Amino acid sequence: MTPTRRRAGHEARSSPRGSIWAAGGEDLRARLVARDERALAELIDVASPWLLGIAQGMLQDPVEAEEVVLEVMTIAWNRIELVGAEGSALMPWLLRVTRNRTIDRLRARRRRGSALAAASADPGIVRHVEDESRIDEAGAPGWHVHRSVHAALDSLPEDQRTAVRLAYFEGLTHSEIAERLAIPLGTVKTRLRLGFGRLRVSLAPIKDWVL
Amino acid sequence: MSAHDWFVEHRMDYVARTLEESELRTFQDHLARCPECAGEVASIERDLAWLPMGAAPVALRPGLSRRLAEGVLETRGRRWMRRAMPAAMAASLLLGAAGWLAGRLETERLARELQERDRRLAALTDTVSITRGADRVLQASIDMDGREGGILIFDDSATHRWNVVIHGLPPAPAGQVYRFWFICEEKMVPGAEVSAGANPALFTLPMPPEGGKVMGAALTVESLATPPMEPRGRTLAELML
Repeated sequence: MTPTRRRAGHEARSSPRGSIWAAGGEDLRARLVARDERALAELIDVASPWLLGIAQGMLQDPVEAEEVVLEVMTIAWNRIELVGAEGSALMPWLLRVTRNRTIDRLRARRRRGSALAAASADPGIVRHVEDESRIDEAGAPGWHVHRSVHAALDSLPEDQRTAVRLAYFEGLTHSEIAERLAIPLGTVKTRLRLGFGRLRVSLAPIKDWVL
Repeated sequence: MSAHDWFVEHRMDYVARTLEESELRTFQDHLARCPECAGEVASIERDLAWLPMGAAPVALRPGLSRRLAEGVLETRGRRWMRRAMPAAMAASLLLGAAGWLAGRLETERLARELQERDRRLAALTDTVSITRGADRVLQASIDMDGREGGILIFDDSATHRWNVVIHGLPPAPAGQVYRFWFICEEKMVPGAEVSAGANPALFTLPMPPEGGKVMGAALTVESLATPPMEPRGRTLAELML
């Protein structure tokens, strides 16, 4: 199960589900627009593991992560006419909204200074969540994209990769990263600028994949 | 470095959401006014569209797919309810307020009516108590223009009051009025103007504070022009204790 390219000349790889991971993504969107509840179930099956991965990775709370996914799926279902229109793809939209919603919750939680924030800093809890539920093999649709992104991340120098991971996958701000790494704020900004700049280049070949 | 340079420099940070909250709001305000930055931000978002998939996927707990689907569909129903609920609540409040107002007005009307009835009942009870406690009852017939009526006086010496009942009186002639008098030792003291409209006419009178001892009572027909100081008209009835 792999993504396909929109551009002519690239071989479209088929998907057993014929879902958002294949060129039939437009078909799924059309069915969602037609309020096909089976299409909703397909979307949930295929996209949720990834959305949950983003939310759970930042929040370190499976229940809250599921709430985020439910929110995002609800928005997608209710606004599907707008989502994925004008050439923008459905899956990147879901990913972006999930990440934004998760960061909103994370920062609200930090403002409240809740006990969960403290818990998230406990590496034991992080390990527990990851050990129990992470998919560690290419069993999920979209794994190919995951590998491509990982390859791009792995190509970064370690200091940039660390900064990017804290910023992008843990939702920390500049100042929080500086504090976490005990480095000057300017250094954080420089590392992120360089790191994201490289990622733009290395991820450019897959940016038009249709999921 | 111009002000715009700061936004150019932080476009990537905006997409990555690494800006502090205040910086984020500033950037959002700027984006709404700057097509160049908005275009470049959209371009960065496209380039990094798949970057979130760097996070490893998580296996869904058993039944989660179904619960999510149910949640989405249920939320849709709740959303409709949320949209309809304010209107329904507003209508309910309006109806409730109108109902409350109408209810309150009706309650006030009923309260006033009840108060009036209580007052009448109390008066009637008082009147009846005089009638029941009367030591003496005086009675006389009245002949007014060939029409026969009567007058009854219940004398309650304990409360020094009289219940007077007059019945069978025709309407008073034009320009005239029926008057009830106390016959006292020293003079005639006006008691009450009798309404012939109420048949029988019933009224309660305390003993007059002037004129000395009450000896009896009289009913006369007086001119409306005559001040009610002393009887000058025709006497219809006279009762002596």
